[in-house]
Amino acid sequence: MLVLTILALQLAVAFAAGENDSEQFSENLRLRPLQDGRLSSTFEFVTILRTRTTVESESAFHEQAQHYTLFPLALGQLLRRYAVSELHLTLNSGKWNYESWGDPDYPSVASGAEMWAWIAAGGGESVDQRWKGLTNGLSGLLCASMGSLDKKRTTSPSIAFRPEGDLPSGKSHQLLYATLPSENVCTENLTPFIKMLPCKAKSGIAMLLNPHRLFDADWHGMGVHVRWLAQEGIELRLTFGAVLNPVRLSLNAMSRDWSFRSVFDRTISRPCPIATSSSIYVKLPYADPYSLTPDISRTAPEGVAIYDLRDRLEELDVKMRWRDPVFHFRPIENKQPLSVRRLLLGGQTRADLSIQLMNKENVTRQVLWLETMPWFIYFYLHTLTATIDGNRMGKAPPHSLTRIASYAPPTDHKPTLLECIVTIPPLSTVQLTVAVEKASIAYTEHPPDASRGWDLPPAVIQPLDHHGPRRIYTSTLLGDLPTPDFSMPYNVIIMTCTLVALFFGSIFNILTRSFIWVEVEGDDDAQDLVKQKTE
Amino acid sequence: MSSILTGGRLGVLIFALRSALFFTPLPALLRDDAQLSSTLTSYTRLKEGVYLFRNGFDPYAGGVFRQVGLLVYHALMFIAQCSANYVVPVDGLAAWCLVQIWRIRSNTRNVAQEGLIVTVYLLHPYLLLPTLALSTSTLDNALLILGLYFAAYGKPSPALLILAILACMSPPFALLLPPIILLLMGSPVSSLARPISPQIDYRRMYRLTAEFLLYFSVLTLISSFVAGGWSWTYKTWGAVILLPDLTPNPGLWWYFFTEMFDDFRPFFLMVFSVHLLIYVAPISIKLRHDPLFASFILQGIISTFKSYPTLADPGLFTAMFAIFPEIVLHLRHPLPTVMLHVHAALLLPLFHYLWIVQGTGNANFFYASTLVFGLANAAAIVDALRAGLRIGFGEKPGHELIQR
Repeated sequence: MLVLTILALQLAVAFAAGENDSEQFSENLRLRPLQDGRLSSTFEFVTILRTRTTVESESAFHEQAQHYTLFPLALGQLLRRYAVSELHLTLNSGKWNYESWGDPDYPSVASGAEMWAWIAAGGGESVDQRWKGLTNGLSGLLCASMGSLDKKRTTSPSIAFRPEGDLPSGKSHQLLYATLPSENVCTENLTPFIKMLPCKAKSGIAMLLNPHRLFDADWHGMGVHVRWLAQEGIELRLTFGAVLNPVRLSLNAMSRDWSFRSVFDRTISRPCPIATSSSIYVKLPYADPYSLTPDISRTAPEGVAIYDLRDRLEELDVKMRWRDPVFHFRPIENKQPLSVRRLLLGGQTRADLSIQLMNKENVTRQVLWLETMPWFIYFYLHTLTATIDGNRMGKAPPHSLTRIASYAPPTDHKPTLLECIVTIPPLSTVQLTVAVEKASIAYTEHPPDASRGWDLPPAVIQPLDHHGPRRIYTSTLLGDLPTPDFSMPYNVIIMTCTLVALFFGSIFNILTRSFIWVEVEGDDDAQDLVKQKTE
Repeated sequence: MSSILTGGRLGVLIFALRSALFFTPLPALLRDDAQLSSTLTSYTRLKEGVYLFRNGFDPYAGGVFRQVGLLVYHALMFIAQCSANYVVPVDGLAAWCLVQIWRIRSNTRNVAQEGLIVTVYLLHPYLLLPTLALSTSTLDNALLILGLYFAAYGKPSPALLILAILACMSPPFALLLPPIILLLMGSPVSSLARPISPQIDYRRMYRLTAEFLLYFSVLTLISSFVAGGWSWTYKTWGAVILLPDLTPNPGLWWYFFTEMFDDFRPFFLMVFSVHLLIYVAPISIKLRHDPLFASFILQGIISTFKSYPTLADPGLFTAMFAIFPEIVLHLRHPLPTVMLHVHAALLLPLFHYLWIVQGTGNANFFYASTLVFGLANAAAIVDALRAGLRIGFGEKPGHELIQR
């Protein structure tokens, strides 16, 4: 009887899902044991909204009501209101360690907040106004400081960040890109994130989204990715990535065995009924012996175990055990074909920014180096020098290794943008160095913790030969600026004005008062006489 | 004749010695010192502007390059051909002009005084160090002296053309137009002791002013043509008034506007700009009997209170005391002024280093030294002006001259 009821229920759910063809939801979790004993986990929740257009016209906005069953309405309203065709927003914490963790499942791993959007131009509003509305709207939606991504931080790169989906033809689109390296992701961002999921955290793999464990991870980040595919419709990907540390969680046991219970402190007790697919992928290690429980539903050819949640009625707690109960740290095997390192050396006003690009393959690579800096950091491009394996290649311009593709110098509180195409010879290290000036800024422009310095956005390296990862982010930098004394405004106004007034008074005294002779009798009482006469 | 040769030899010797300094590591060390070259005169920024210009970027698009388009054009030529050391002969020319100005002013050939002028101009640390830093303030100073030289020798067209170039490069110097026009119409000979106001030919004055405006507009047009638009005026001349760059310098503006409340910024920017304008008319009128002296005083005021001064600006003012030896005897408080200058000269670099390079000092220390420096310059100007007016009354036994 019970079986029959469940069957009926399942049929009803299937019917309900089938009824709504225009929206589709699927979810998956990718788990990947890393060579340093950590465990990379990426949650992905994909909603597809089948429509022929990305954004409705201004008039349709008022006429046509927005009805969604699965797609988050609050986000849909923002996208439509501000004519956004593609949106990528990530909030990450920590530095992604490419060398020991490999490429991330999603390339956007910049520390802090990063957002880029392709916004349609035309209509009543300018793209900048739309961006402002969008960032403020997302601020409210995700409880993050996206509102700080104003024109002081926003740039429009001309080569990097090409659309990942399609852009509707007939409308011109503009790319806007901004980062906020000092922003942190925390539980107040996760709660609204979970709210956007159709099953919330009540069923399906979202049950594992336990803030106590996710925000304890060595690296964690969430993302909202919206794109439009001409064949499919609008695709919303909500992602959450965390690099968990089972060795640390095992306390003194130093074991890298993990299970849902041990790393998330939760298990999956019921599938999300709405999801058309709901899978867990576990990348199987190839070197060390291990055991994986429960039994795998099926295995993909590239060594990935797949658990399908939809046909599973009992509680799921995936466990991986290694034969060696104690994890021994080994030297990291860096398999990355391209590594990047960036440094800022120098004093408070003058510094050298240098970036090191290491090509470990026997082919010539071409990459784009994107650098965005706050408005008070100036590049002196004429000082851009390149070395290959330490040998100086001479100064720009023109240069065989670098070509400046676009450059927007900082102006009136708009950031610096530099896009430079760099050619890296096979098996060599290219180091680019450019002198930068850190300008002094007014006391109101300093952050509250001024002496700590400014978090400077990461550089982005984008291979142009479609080989390897889509983007590599460097770590953020801390730039210290000369700070004024914040308690001085009144004193400075008073003292400088005193000097000016003193000078003005003296000059006009001399110029306007006429000279007269006074008789002086003797030296002793000369002063008295002078006094008498002047009175 | 032989003594003149000795004076010339002395000049050449000093000139050779200081030129040798360009081959030491000193210029590279001093190049980016904000006390020696401001945003408007920095050599590094000039090079960056030229680089951007050559590579097809608009040099005026950002806030890095704030020098006049005209200069870009010349810098292109200069840097391409004779590297950075083009400033070396510029100072020599300026010193020679200064000696010529002294000769026509005093109507004598006093070798000792000429030697003093050359020595002071070529070895004044406030003039030598910016030259070593390749700051274009050196060029500004040389152009000003050249303009004064032509004006003193009664050559209106070259004098006004050079003043127009100078006004393009460093707009505050345009305020020297009234005394220079008076100088063109009057005589450079020292008449501080006989203050008889000359008759002013107003039609000629208007004609000369129109000539200056003509040169100025032509140069502006050329600059716009070279820069390909008008945006450069906002970036260069606008910067003089709006102070977008708050880099610490020896002047009085930077800390004032670093610490200024945002709502009051436009008001005080207006006050500080108008403050410079105030002095032009009174000083030109009061000292119309000796316009060369009037330009000396005005130059001092501009160099102390302009928005982006470097040490070269007060340096020129103090060096020019050498061509007005008559006022030195009538100075009221030369010793305190010199002591203030010594105080500032020691503290400015020290506190700048401690705050900016070492990161241990505090902004207030450097600010305090700029105040002392401002006070020293103000005291020197006030004293010089008073002495210049005092000379006209001579001496009267048993009497003392006071101001009512």
